[in-house]
Amino acid sequence: MKAVITSLVVAIILAFIFSLPALAQESGTITITMIGVNEISISLDKTQWPLGEVAADTEYPTSPPIEWCTLTVEGNCNVNTFIVGEDAEWIDNPGAYKWTLSNDGTNGENMYGLRFRISGDTARGYVPITKTEGEFWPYGGGSSLAPGDTKQFGLKLLTPTYFVGGRQMQAQITISAVAA
Amino acid sequence: MVGHIKLAGFIVTLLVIFLPSFTLAQDFSFSVSPAEVHIDNLPPGEAAEFELTIHNKEEIAHNFTIATFQPPEEERREGRAEFPDDRWMSFSSQEIEVAANSKANVTVTVAIPREQQWAGGGWEIWLGVAAESSDLLAVRLYSRLLVSTTPAMEARSNAGLVAGIVGGIVLLGCGGYYYFRRKTKTE
Repeated sequence: MKAVITSLVVAIILAFIFSLPALAQESGTITITMIGVNEISISLDKTQWPLGEVAADTEYPTSPPIEWCTLTVEGNCNVNTFIVGEDAEWIDNPGAYKWTLSNDGTNGENMYGLRFRISGDTARGYVPITKTEGEFWPYGGGSSLAPGDTKQFGLKLLTPTYFVGGRQMQAQITISAVAA
Repeated sequence: MVGHIKLAGFIVTLLVIFLPSFTLAQDFSFSVSPAEVHIDNLPPGEAAEFELTIHNKEEIAHNFTIATFQPPEEERREGRAEFPDDRWMSFSSQEIEVAANSKANVTVTVAIPREQQWAGGGWEIWLGVAAESSDLLAVRLYSRLLVSTTPAMEARSNAGLVAGIVGGIVLLGCGGYYYFRRKTKTE
């Protein structure tokens, strides 16, 4: 009986000694890798467009039309860039009245259009800004922007064919970037 | 009728102000690092965390918000699927004030549920950082987060390991038993 117990104890100890390294390996190493010492950054030299009073069904381009704002790629990684707009809301009571942003740059009753054009982007011309993120600088062909690159662009607002007057409206256009 | 509506709209527009802003337009710059993070071999049921650094390069303090974003398929890295549930992500703070010309860190935690169905996953989600602003133009910077979990094969290899240990114990036990028995008989 003593031999049986001793044998079992020795066997268990030996089995665990040999299996410990394997168990340790199985518990796995979680690796967290930060790709390079990468920092992403873009900057805009303008963030405001003082338009003032506007008329219905009228186009308002920035001045100058396509070199109004400069986007500069900073940081140290190439980036793909996007642009997205939103409905314009009445500042005094945002939930009560808005202009819907159209999805093709056109306008309608209480619906406005926004377009942007990048200097040098001769292929696309003016591109609608919608509520879904779209390409800012076209990178489909591998032409992402590199650190130090700059792109000048302008905006064009097309006011609704009809809207309620005397209300101060506000919207935001977001330009975003991700590592290419 | 349409002509009437158009005319009415035109008359009232003289009172309307769209996107007004009379303060001086100014440059705005900040950065986020790292731009891309890979978390590999994260077993279901476990969590990993890392620091996201926001650098405010402006002369004034700014509030920044951090939120997850599911990128469309064509924007994801090759072979990466949509991150199954952004509730698995948490931040030490979703809104943070960063002083002028300063950096601040946000701790990002990724916790995968224990269910075996999440083993062997390879997903991508973006972490968007934006400065709070009421200006017309705003900037959002995304940090790519790529997460992969330990493969389901590992669970089977664990089972094999356990079976091996049990087998080893039995064999060693038998060997030891016969050794002691022969030793006792010899004595």
